[in-house]
Amino acid sequence: MSTDINPLVILFASVFTSNILLSNFLGMCSFISISKDAKSSFGLGLAVTLVMTITMVVSWAVLKFIVEPLNIGYLSFIVFIIVIAAIVQMLEMFIDRVSPALYLALGIFLPLITVNCAILGAILFMQIRSYDFFQALCFGFGSGAGWWLAIMLLSAIRKKVDAAPVSAGLKGPGITLITIGFMAMAFIGFSGMLAVQ
Amino acid sequence: MKKDSTSYTVWFTFVVSLFFVLLLAFANELTSGRVAANQRFAERSAILDSLGLKASGVAATDEAAALSAAALSAAAVQDASTSEAVDTVFDRSVSVITADSARFLLYKAVVDGEVRYAMGFSGAGLWGAILGVLTVNADVSRIRGLSIVAHNETPGLGGRITEAWFTDQFRDEQIPPAGIRVRQGSGAGDTNKDNGELDAVTGASLTSKSIEKIVNAQISVFRSLFEQGGLQ
Amino acid sequence: MNGAASSGKNKAWAVLRDNLWWNNPVFIQVLGICSTLAVTNNLTNTFIMTVGVSLATAFSSATLSAMNKAIPAKVRMITQVLVISFYVIIIDIVLRAYLPAVSKSLGPYVGLIITNCIIMGRAEAFARSNTPLLSFWDGLTSGIGYMAFLMGIAAVREFLGFGSLFGFKLAPPGFTPWTIMVMAPSAFFLVAMAMWALKSLQESMTAHKKGGKK
Repeated sequence: MSTDINPLVILFASVFTSNILLSNFLGMCSFISISKDAKSSFGLGLAVTLVMTITMVVSWAVLKFIVEPLNIGYLSFIVFIIVIAAIVQMLEMFIDRVSPALYLALGIFLPLITVNCAILGAILFMQIRSYDFFQALCFGFGSGAGWWLAIMLLSAIRKKVDAAPVSAGLKGPGITLITIGFMAMAFIGFSGMLAVQ
Repeated sequence: MKKDSTSYTVWFTFVVSLFFVLLLAFANELTSGRVAANQRFAERSAILDSLGLKASGVAATDEAAALSAAALSAAAVQDASTSEAVDTVFDRSVSVITADSARFLLYKAVVDGEVRYAMGFSGAGLWGAILGVLTVNADVSRIRGLSIVAHNETPGLGGRITEAWFTDQFRDEQIPPAGIRVRQGSGAGDTNKDNGELDAVTGASLTSKSIEKIVNAQISVFRSLFEQGGLQ
Repeated sequence: MNGAASSGKNKAWAVLRDNLWWNNPVFIQVLGICSTLAVTNNLTNTFIMTVGVSLATAFSSATLSAMNKAIPAKVRMITQVLVISFYVIIIDIVLRAYLPAVSKSLGPYVGLIITNCIIMGRAEAFARSNTPLLSFWDGLTSGIGYMAFLMGIAAVREFLGFGSLFGFKLAPPGFTPWTIMVMAPSAFFLVAMAMWALKSLQESMTAHKKGGKK
């Protein structure tokens, strides 16, 4: 029973008003650690967007053509994880072949993406909301792009924050979380822009 | 076979995966009956609640809750009349009428001496479908009840449409010719049953507007059934 | 992990102490943040979720530790994920069959236990080089350290955001709920402040004990 929400609305919402990171809290761990460095943030954000979009579409297809007909819904988690791991592995090999420079830049990030909760989380949301193909595509791309946007913004802010004198107990993850909190509040301001249905 | 050889790796992965998947299939089989019963309980409870019929809030399969309900009832803290099983009340009071135009079944029951009609609905919320049951009286002049079965709205915000203060607003609410309106109010529930207006959830204006659209759409369905003489 | 304890009982005690306080998975190791923020607007959900994480971590660590010698290097991560997924699915099945209301309100966050960095973290850091029994204990205590922190955050959020604790209305009638507590940003601020307070406390405890850690 898919809903009639316009895919473009989903795209906009997943980047701004329901940002996978700032509203749904997914993908925090690498977000907090990698945002220290702008270059790595760019690379990781790009990788996440790529992986998110591809895995979302593939998961949708697997769900529709394998899981549902065979009625193995209870195995969904394992199926999704395998899809993610497989795609990350294939992507790694593909990038290495096509552009060794990019492969070097992304480096360690690709295997880490496998356990990034944002990827699995977004796929689970797609399953629960019964999106059709275009909705899933927009949701996957939008979620990835939203994550990328958030990490770029945070790394820019952190450049200043990390240089500032902060109390010892708050240094590092503490002040980063407060910064993210303000970002989350700012993003809530977008929610009035959406005209739904 | 050396541990790091390719053949061992493949064999290992295959065997381990098969083992765990089989265990899961077994666990799933064991519990599928209960899961289906829980599902049916949730649907029937929503229909009864929307109609205004009282039944046990406890599923037959939910032993922990059953124990505490029995204890509360024994301590005379909880009304014993609400301990009748959902299936008992449902089978006794509710009859099913198939309406051709609708995707959902139409239910009919006599509650407090009045004939009421209930029908399930599925509409677009902010984040996914909102499923629920709406009950009206025989001439579609008043809503008798609304219950939300499932939704994907934000927990703590749009998700609050399942809370009693929100759904209770709809009970006995008059239906104006243009349909009901959900608007920003005190956020605590509109107690005026004759104005056709309901309070939205604070901080969840979009989800609340979706509810307005969905309920009005369902009211139209009831109205066309009424005009075609389908509601007797 | 500190402590040169030799006897099994001492090691178990060291593990408990570290996972609950000195090396707490959330406010020291900064793991499992995602779920910390997502489910803590409600004490009941938080409790069930953290029990689930504790059990999943304990059983996964124990199982992986037992399987240690047989796992080929190439598929180590995949095997970890497979075992963790298995236990999480079992938890999901149990919830859907016996606690359907909780299952519905936790929604997709049950599945997300699989990607909870705490479970993977303990599997990598501890289960690989310790016995199954100790790994089980490590997993369980990590989960309890996680639970303690989250319940604290949830208590504040639920009380200020809904005026209730575990669903029981406790606030006086005139109380206006702080809606922000139910929304995303408050979680970030509260976790940061709790981190600040607890880490500062740890610093002063360490400074007090001359000659380093216990």
